Amino acid sequence: MKTILAAAAMLAASATLAGAQQLAPSPTLDAIKARGTLECGVHLGLPGFSFANDKGEWTGLDVDYCKALAAAVLGDATKVKFTPTSVQQRWPILQSGQVDLLSRNSTITFSRNASLGLNFQGINFYEGQTFIVRKSTNAKSAADLDGASVCVAAGSTEEKNAADWFRERNLKVAITNFQKNDDAITAYDSGRCDAYTAGVGALAGQRAKLKVPGDHIILTQPISNDPQGPVTRWGDERWQLVVRWVLNGMIAAEALGVTSANVDEMKANSKNSEVRRLLGAEGGFGAMMGISNDWMYNAIKQVGNYGESFERTVGQGSTLKMERGQNQLWTKGGLLFTSPFQ
Amino acid sequence: MKPAKGPDTLAKALALLNDKRVRDVIYQVAVVVGLVGLTVYFVHNASQNMVKAGIASGFDFLWRTSGIDVPFVLTSYTQADNILGLFWAGVANTMLVTVIALVLSTLLGFLIGLARLSSHWLLSTVAGAYIEFVRNIPLLFFVLFWYFGVIASLPAPRDSLRVFGIAFLNNRGLTIPLPDAPGNFRWALIAILLAWLAQWLVARWARHRKEATGRDAPVLAIGLGLVVLVPVLAITWASLATRWDIPVLRGFNYRGGFVVIPEFVALLAALVTYTAGFIAEIVRGGIQAVPHGQIEAASALGLQRGQTMRFVTIPQALRVMIPPLTNQYLNVLKNSSFGAAIAYPDVVSLFMGSALNNTGQAIEIIAMALAVYLVIGLAVSAFMNWYNARIALVTR
Repeated sequence: MKTILAAAAMLAASATLAGAQQLAPSPTLDAIKARGTLECGVHLGLPGFSFANDKGEWTGLDVDYCKALAAAVLGDATKVKFTPTSVQQRWPILQSGQVDLLSRNSTITFSRNASLGLNFQGINFYEGQTFIVRKSTNAKSAADLDGASVCVAAGSTEEKNAADWFRERNLKVAITNFQKNDDAITAYDSGRCDAYTAGVGALAGQRAKLKVPGDHIILTQPISNDPQGPVTRWGDERWQLVVRWVLNGMIAAEALGVTSANVDEMKANSKNSEVRRLLGAEGGFGAMMGISNDWMYNAIKQVGNYGESFERTVGQGSTLKMERGQNQLWTKGGLLFTSPFQ
Repeated sequence: MKPAKGPDTLAKALALLNDKRVRDVIYQVAVVVGLVGLTVYFVHNASQNMVKAGIASGFDFLWRTSGIDVPFVLTSYTQADNILGLFWAGVANTMLVTVIALVLSTLLGFLIGLARLSSHWLLSTVAGAYIEFVRNIPLLFFVLFWYFGVIASLPAPRDSLRVFGIAFLNNRGLTIPLPDAPGNFRWALIAILLAWLAQWLVARWARHRKEATGRDAPVLAIGLGLVVLVPVLAITWASLATRWDIPVLRGFNYRGGFVVIPEFVALLAALVTYTAGFIAEIVRGGIQAVPHGQIEAASALGLQRGQTMRFVTIPQALRVMIPPLTNQYLNVLKNSSFGAAIAYPDVVSLFMGSALNNTGQAIEIIAMALAVYLVIGLAVSAFMNWYNARIALVTR
């Protein structure tokens, strides 16, 4: 019955749009609308990025993006079903269609893009891989780790990066691969390894899980670039469009000074036509993708722009207290730069 | 008048259907056709969906450079090798821990099983308690207990336990000296094997002669010399004639030597202590299955208790024990995959973990890992079946 109603609603919607343009079919978008929820694959538990708090509510930068996407597509940021995925499960779960997208702190790499049928729809976190060590080791950079043993999650990009980095420099390091990040960090904490390696954001989040967080130091010099962002499977270009432009929209909103607090006022009074197009006051950009023209208005009103989300989840308003650094807008010395809403 | 041909053949065909043998064949053919059809359907479906989803399929990925560093390798694998090399490194590690665990758990299981049957109250109670404890606790608990409870509480490298200043035990593993050139040890190994072969021949000759003439030969003295003295001499000679790479503490850990990683020790200890509990019960059951009359008959013949055990009880008990023992051996093989939980680099951890995540070839990789367990498992069970047939009661 629900499906029939949804189909009828869609028929009505497409009838109103017919004549203006013929939209390419989007099975994912249709399924989300019929279902009434967005299915989003997230990390098993990484404070600051995707973490279920003691009330069972998911919070974090990657989680916020899913909420914004749900607000854009369904008009309601709460209509998300979060599926926690391990390093091993993440690709099959996306490939087999169990989730609509992944937003889980996964590095964008060539081979994932080229041979796994995965598409990366932009970057919501620029990360560099580094190490956490005990202060007592006096290690100041990764180069001081000659002879050390390093715990890492098996199959992560970090595992390969670390092996390559030490081999190139002729440093002998014993890398011990655990199935889960949590196992690796437990082993590090119990003294099995001298260092644990992951992205700087992940380390900041996981440091809190250590017995005495103050005894450990995160090395500042990164050994790699790990851009991360939402992942979709191949096919369904129109869905990819939505995923990409909601992310762009959150970043553009920050650049344009649109926040969850002033979004109503901006929509009503802004003279800036890019702001007006972003918020659906003109241009009909949502309809071009097959969703409501209020898409980014809803996302920003309910979740906030990129900067608000960052501060709340990993920045100064959170326990992680990370600097914006590379994840700052390009106008303020960072790397965030979006295509214009034109 | 001849009856019409039709109904006659129909009746014959129906009669054939009532034949149990014909029916069995029909059922079996139907099951096989169904299975093959289902498999073809699944494979076809999977490959079509993979093409649709843009996922590369096939085994070409095996020749890609792996780039994964393995801390504990028996093969010549290095990070620069291909993924096939990584696969073999994982298989070798799985085999190593399985074979050693098989031998040790059999020995420990026999001892505990015999202790369980002992007339000594304390001994049999302790053995009974151990068996009950082990059989009612999941293996993962043992693995994590040995890893995080026992091995992780060893001292840090700086405060290692020293064994004569050449071997060092710490929470990074056991570092032992490694010979610079293993050539001498190869000769020692050949000498030992030759001595053991000689011992076997001497024992055979002595048995034949005793059966033929009733005269004893000094088998024990010759045997001790060949089995114990020769190896001791050979290894001592080889050790003295070889230059050793002695581990030295430098920086974070000991450098040089060979490191037995803690994951190996923890997994081995867990498999042995766990499986021994089950083997002990099999041993007890096997021995108790030998009719008491046999033991009474043996004592009536004047055999002593040890002789009764060796010549009467054990040979008959073995026949009962072999089939369940085979199951336990297969379990050890399969349970070795628990090593993945504690980062032991076995085929599950390296191949189904690291390689799968780097390449994403889930179907191919899982099929290969499955084949490994299947092939080793079938080999173990074939050997045990052969042994079972060999020691089976010969009825005439």
